Order: sequence, then structure tokens, then C-alpha cells
Amino acid sequence: MTKVVLSARGLVIRFGGVVAADGVDLDVQAGEHLAIIGPNGAGKTTFLNIATGYLKPQAGSVEFLGQDITAHSPRAITRLGIARAFQIPQLFLEHTVIESLLIAAASRNGRLATLRSLEDLPEREEMMQLLELVGARDAAEHKAVVLPEGRRKLVDIAMALALKPKLVLMDEPTSGVASAEKFAIMDVLVAALNAQAVTSVFVEHDMDVVQRYADRVAVWSSGKIQTVGTPREVLADPAVISQVIGI
Amino acid sequence: MNLTIVVLAALDGISYAALVFLVSVGLSLIFGVMRIVNVAHGSLYAYGAYAAATIGIAVAPISPWLTYPGLLLAAIGVGTILGGLLERFLLRLVYGRDEALQLLITFAVFMILDNLQRVIWGVQPIFAAAPLQLLPNISVLGVGYTSYQTLLLPGVAALTLIGLRYFLRHTLGGAVILAVTEDREAATAIGINPNRVFLRTFILGAILAALGGALASPTTSLLPGIGTEMIVLSFAVAATAGLGQIEGAAIAALMIGLARAFAIYTYPEFEVLVPYAIMVLVLLIRPQGLFGATRLRRI
Repeated sequence: MTKVVLSARGLVIRFGGVVAADGVDLDVQAGEHLAIIGPNGAGKTTFLNIATGYLKPQAGSVEFLGQDITAHSPRAITRLGIARAFQIPQLFLEHTVIESLLIAAASRNGRLATLRSLEDLPEREEMMQLLELVGARDAAEHKAVVLPEGRRKLVDIAMALALKPKLVLMDEPTSGVASAEKFAIMDVLVAALNAQAVTSVFVEHDMDVVQRYADRVAVWSSGKIQTVGTPREVLADPAVISQVIGI
Repeated sequence: MNLTIVVLAALDGISYAALVFLVSVGLSLIFGVMRIVNVAHGSLYAYGAYAAATIGIAVAPISPWLTYPGLLLAAIGVGTILGGLLERFLLRLVYGRDEALQLLITFAVFMILDNLQRVIWGVQPIFAAAPLQLLPNISVLGVGYTSYQTLLLPGVAALTLIGLRYFLRHTLGGAVILAVTEDREAATAIGINPNRVFLRTFILGAILAALGGALASPTTSLLPGIGTEMIVLSFAVAATAGLGQIEGAAIAALMIGLARAFAIYTYPEFEVLVPYAIMVLVLLIRPQGLFGATRLRRI
């Protein structure tokens, strides 16, 4: 039996009259890349917010590696090993890429207040290798603000990986990127996750991306997980096609 | 205006600019990172000055040279304790709130600390000039002046400028402060605690204000109200430079310090007016200040 990394049970969360989650159960297995699909506004991003401590569910719980993290703060959850990549990459735009990564690595190691020069931090070589892994080594000395969106996405993933997470949660990793570029970015991204043996959950709207990169797909609609399965099974389901893909 | 007066005014201006720079760069740093205009910054200057004088009077009989580490101890002690308490228990509650509220609260703290200062140190002038008297006088183009004011004060200011630049641009601790300033959410997402970074930054700014006070203490009699004069002047410098501008604060401090000193020797009735005339003139032409710009990095 495969190991469950993240396990949500009976999640309920409402915003005013909108029910984003109404009894959501979801297990994420070690090593897999799980896609969450569903109509806009269905609550997919809400799930990522709950799993990273930014929102507290009104009922239900989230366990990470057997530990209840429902009441944990975002920082405590980050320290336990869940990192996050956002729909809009959250980078320190005025810092160089390598500086941002060094800050993330220092945060992971809990040494932020030092007067050590950025030039000779012990994590530097490790972070350069991480950039190599996402194919952005040549951008190390560039400020994030000058990078095109596609590269920012990759640097954002490198930031998440710099924290040495066990699980990465990604909100639309290919949004805002030209469709021609999507596969190239996902190829690099998934290879990097696999190289570091990191499990991932990603919210995605592009069914081609889901088909190609997800090991399993969860369909989130009307506050519930409607179905979970392989992309082949789920994307062929007529109910899913009408509900989510809207054909 | 003869040469002696020009030299005297220039030396007065430079030494005073060094002190104003230390205070205003602390004010600017705190504003750049926390976006709060801290009127109580002037109290940190005053307490730094009084603490340095108190320590100086206590240790001078043992050895007058001990007054030097005393200056440093006063700056670090006042900045860390008073600055730390202020940030942790008061200012943290008003970040992101209405500026008028922030001004009122920090002004109230300033008034309270000003009164407390009268209770602790009284209203009689206190004079502790040992550090100034220890260093020899030097002659600049025939004009005798203390080397404490002509060399030590500008030296400390220059080192502060270089050190602060280096800290913010090249060290991890500085990069973290800038990262939190740029994007608090992203910083939190990678596990940084912004509150802790704010506390450290505030204490750093507070130490700079207290250092200004400590270094000023041997050059003047300490009286109630010294904090008021300094906070108003350092606001003028910070606004002229553009709030959050560190190098700009150095240049604006020099401009205002020199202009004020020359006014004292030529048209003394304009002493108080000159710094604000410069500020108003600059802000009329460049509302963001000489070096301020509407760009992402603010410090």
C-alpha cells in the first residue's frame, strides 16, 4: 500500500452563502502528482489555502504525514515540509534570482539574522544546482523583475524546492504562459519534482497538461470531490466532460 | 564674509550634519520598511544623549577614556530596550493603519517620553564633555576646532552610511529585510516571520537615533526639548531626501546642515527657517524628495 502524504477529511468551508467545500475527503499519495480540476470558483484554490494554513476550515481536518496540521500557522506548515507555488509567482522582484533562493534556503535553516555576505553562504552551491535543475542557472544574477513569465514560474518552483519540501502545492503552474511554452515548463517542473522525490498537488485548467503530467486527477465541483482516478478514466467520464470541461 | 567665518560655518555644518544624518537615516530606514512615520524617534535621540551623559559622568572619574565605550553602550542599550519595547508593544498594533492615527500615537508616545525624561533627568542642564575634551583640537585653514566634531562625528556618519549600504545590499540579514519590504506575503510563504524582521529593523533604526544623541551629548548641554529640535530637523532631512533614501539622507543632511550653519553666521534670525525653506523648495519641485522615486525598492 502506498503511503499517504496529505489527507483531508470532511473539510467544510463557506464564504457567506458560497460553499467552497462541503465535506471534502482527499488523499495525496507519496510520489504522485495529483491534479485538481473543476469549474472556476469551485474551491480548488481554497483547498490549497486550507492545506497551507492560510484558511481554517469550519469543519474537518488535514493531516500531513500523520500529523494534524489543521490549526497550524502557514509558517509552521512550511517548516513541516509543505511548500507552495502561486498562480502569480511570488518572487522578490528587486532581488537577483540567486539572492531570493539564498533567502529561502536560509529561512529553511532558520538563520536569517546573520551579517554573512550573500557571496559566501554555504547554501550557494546547492542553490545553483537547484537552478540548474529547473534550467535557470543562467538567470542566477538577473533580477526577477526582468525575467519573462515562463522563467519566473520556474524560479518560483525553485524557491519552493529550496525549502526542501516533501510536498509542493501549485496553483495553476502554467497560467499566464503561452500554450506553446506550457509543455516545456511542465517537463522541467515535473522532472525537477521527481529528481527531488517531491510529491505535488496542482490546480489546473488546461486538460492537455492534466492528461500529460498528472498521475491522478481529482474533480472538485459543488463543494465535493466528485471523482478521483487516472487522467484516462476521469477525462473520459461524460459527467466530468459536461461539468468541468464544459463541452 | 571672511575666510574664518566660512571655515567655521562649514565645520559647524558638517559636524551637525553628521548627527542629523544618523537620526534621519534611522527614521528613513524604519519608514522604508514598516511604512510608519515615527515621531517618537526624537525621544530615542534624547534618551541616547541623556543615557550617554549619565554613563559618562559615572565612569569619567575612573578613566575619561571609558566614556567612549559609554557612548556606544548608551546607544545600543537605549535603542534595543526602548526601541524594542516601543515596536513590540505599540507600533506593531498600528502598522498599516491610517497615517493620522500613526502620527497621533507616536506623537503621544513622544510627549509621554519627553515628560518622563524631565522626571528622570530633571530640567537643569547636564554637561558631560569628557569625550570631546579627550581628543586634541586641530587647525583647519587657521581655524581651531575640536577633532571630535571635525573628524570623529563625520567619520562615524560615513562609516554608518557605508555599513548600512553594505548590510542592506550584500548581507543575508539585509537581504531578508528588503525581501520582507518588497513582498511580505512571499516572505511568509517561504517561512520568514515578518514580525521578527520588523522588530530587528526597528531596533536598528532606534540605535541609530540613540547613537546620534549619544554622540551629540559631549557637544552641547542637555536640556528638555533636545529631542523636539532633532526630530523636526531629521524629518526635514528625510523628506528632502525622499523617505526611505539612505544615500539621499546623507546628502540632504549635508545640504541642510551647511545651510543652517551659514545662516547662523550671516543671518542668525533665519537659522530656524532655512532647513524648512530648503525642504519646501525641494518638495515643491520634486514632491517625492530629491532622491525618492515611485519605484519598488524603497530603501
